[in-house]
Amino acid sequence: MALIISLIQQLSVFLVIAYLFSKTPIFKPLVSISVSLPHKVVIYLVFSSFCIMGTYFGLAVQDAIANTRAVGAVLGGLLGGPVVGFFVGLTGGLHRYSMGGFTDVACAISTTLEGLMGGLLHLYLVRKRNIEALFSPLIAFFITLAAEAVQMAVILIVAKPFAQAWQLVTLIAPPMLIANALGAALFMHMIRDQKAMFDKFSSAFSAKAMLIAERTVGIMAKGLTQQSAEQIANIILEETKVGAVAITDKKHILAFTGIGHQHHKPGRAISSPLTLGAIKDNKIVFADGVNLPYQCSVDKHCRLGSAIIIPLRIGDGEVVGTIKLYEPKHKLFLNINRTLGEGIAKLLSNQILFGQFLEQKRLLTESELKLIHAQVNPHFLFNALNTISAVTRTDPDKARELLLSMSHFFRKNLKRSCDITRLEEELKHVEAYLAIERARFGDRLDVKINISPDDYSLSLPCFTLQPIIENAIKHGTSHLLEGGCITIDLNEHPKQVCLCVQDNAGLYRSKTSDGLGLDIVDKRIKNAYGQDYGLSIECEPNVYTKVNIYLPKSLTNTSKEPRS
Amino acid sequence: MIRYLIIDDEPLARDELKHLLEQESEFEFVGEAANAIAGLSLINKLKPDLIFLDIQMPKITGLELASMLDDNQLPRIVFVTAYDEYAIKAFEEKAFDYILKPIEVSRLQQTLTRLKQDHTPKPMLFDDKPNLTVLPCYYHHTIKLIQLSEVEYVMSDHSGIHIITAAGQSHTHLTLKTLEEKSALLRCHKQYLIAEQAIKEIQLHENASADIITPSGHKVPVSRRYLKAIKHHFGIQTG
Repeated sequence: MALIISLIQQLSVFLVIAYLFSKTPIFKPLVSISVSLPHKVVIYLVFSSFCIMGTYFGLAVQDAIANTRAVGAVLGGLLGGPVVGFFVGLTGGLHRYSMGGFTDVACAISTTLEGLMGGLLHLYLVRKRNIEALFSPLIAFFITLAAEAVQMAVILIVAKPFAQAWQLVTLIAPPMLIANALGAALFMHMIRDQKAMFDKFSSAFSAKAMLIAERTVGIMAKGLTQQSAEQIANIILEETKVGAVAITDKKHILAFTGIGHQHHKPGRAISSPLTLGAIKDNKIVFADGVNLPYQCSVDKHCRLGSAIIIPLRIGDGEVVGTIKLYEPKHKLFLNINRTLGEGIAKLLSNQILFGQFLEQKRLLTESELKLIHAQVNPHFLFNALNTISAVTRTDPDKARELLLSMSHFFRKNLKRSCDITRLEEELKHVEAYLAIERARFGDRLDVKINISPDDYSLSLPCFTLQPIIENAIKHGTSHLLEGGCITIDLNEHPKQVCLCVQDNAGLYRSKTSDGLGLDIVDKRIKNAYGQDYGLSIECEPNVYTKVNIYLPKSLTNTSKEPRS
Repeated sequence: MIRYLIIDDEPLARDELKHLLEQESEFEFVGEAANAIAGLSLINKLKPDLIFLDIQMPKITGLELASMLDDNQLPRIVFVTAYDEYAIKAFEEKAFDYILKPIEVSRLQQTLTRLKQDHTPKPMLFDDKPNLTVLPCYYHHTIKLIQLSEVEYVMSDHSGIHIITAAGQSHTHLTLKTLEEKSALLRCHKQYLIAEQAIKEIQLHENASADIITPSGHKVPVSRRYLKAIKHHFGIQTG
């Protein structure tokens, strides 16, 4: 009984050392199962040390040593596999052998066997894909119990004389079995706790990063402005709970929230030399408050004591601004917030880049549109003039009307800036265009616009309807020998409105020059309202072409366009 | 008197031109057409000395119409177009003249003056290359445009020129001669043209004539005179 108590006392010292060790970074590899060699070597070294330590802490009993060596050997095998287990056992065993005594050989053999047993169990559990069981204290308890039983058997078989061995075993078997099994279970418990903590830590970290990513998505797409920066800074402050968050562009503070916001005013020029340095060198600056102190450059009494300043980079590494996370003087700057800050900076950089990409795409579409309208279709222009010159002779009033329609049409076309307009305005543009086309084609062209004045306030990008109707005439009905017929309808769908332009020519071919105009109309609608809207074209060759323009059910209140 | 036709798909454009020419005592208006197909039929019927021809018209352009005309009886062609600089460049030398819309009276006068000096129909140097790809045809009361690639053979008889495809037979105003010169069709008989892709087999007869069997089973005669040329076309040695 006395032996059990003292062995457990030894075990306690052993476990305290193990506990302290579990707080060091060397312990980290033990909590994950890996096949990499450095990983295995760490396990080998750690558990061999515990094995040897177990022998040293043992109690001399009858020229033998009652010990907790088995803990190291079995756990080494359990976490490192058969090979590692074997070598841990061998190392522990050889060390034990070097200390002599009548059980030296028996102990060397049995310790090696114990390591191997742990290793074989590891192999079995990994093959069964039961990784969780590897970290089970209960399993560690029983395998160590079994390993110790084997050790006792080996002592009886190998150690001579048998009588002495028998006496020894009856004395030390119960305390060693209990102490080693208990020790292994407790040790494994420690490893498992540590593992759970790592897992929890990293999942909390990922969750936080995901949450910030989710909440900030799209805000930066409109660019790095005071407004977007303020929204982002608030979100980061809420989620990371750091002392303060600031976002700057290259020259000014765009947003500042948290401690010290009274004197860190958005709009001020950047005065902190650390921030200027971070922008200039395109480098992360970490003023942890210990090695590199952070001192507010605005107010001497500012409570902020540490900061990380991360440049926001786009494209080929060009710095467009910085994001800064601060902690007050009495608080330590957590490593997690430092890593998180770097992640956020990367996220924001990507968002800004994406925003720039969208903006460039939009500008390109606009300039394509301007180009197309600048290139007034000469065929239309000169035929129109010819028509008017013919009408002038027979019907001067009609000629005057046509000239007015033409000036209305070209005035609208030449207007450089135009964004969203009312359907009514767009229809006026269409009518001006049609007045001339009707005069040109006479009874060969019949256009019916079936749109009720109730729908006139529907909003749409300007130059949406007219190009499609021009297309229907130019590439459609004008190629018909008999009469061309175009109808324009408005259909209400549950989630959208559809303007439908249908001709009776059915000559639409995708990938021709006429596709370009339609592409731009489509792109502009998608830019304005999103991917759910835009054009869809149906064509039954030689029967009809139908262009559906899907728009959101949004109304605009501007009753008249400003005169230019 | 110079008899002229106007072919333009815009009614007001025709009116305008007609009006401008009304004062001219030496020019006589004989007809107008709103598209190239009706125009071709009028040309064949009225045999005008002069055509004012728009370029951009439905189905068949003015340029294509010009290439469908019999070179030997080609009327003077004046293209009247709003805007078609490339076509104008290509045809500058081949058309008698071209005028831009809206029509300037003084510019039209120049053309008329030149026409008064030289208006008799005579062969014009249109491109010799086969360039007909679409053949305007009448089928009962409809106008049909037949792709040259669909044609099996063309036959002339007392009632006119017939184009035979796998789908049936249509009547055209194009002459056999024009078709021979302006398309890849081969002459195989005084009254027949055959499409190369429609020759399935050639049955040779003892009297040195032959019959061609087309994919849809028609039999087309080959006269002695043309058999050699056909054989030569296919690189067959004639003994």
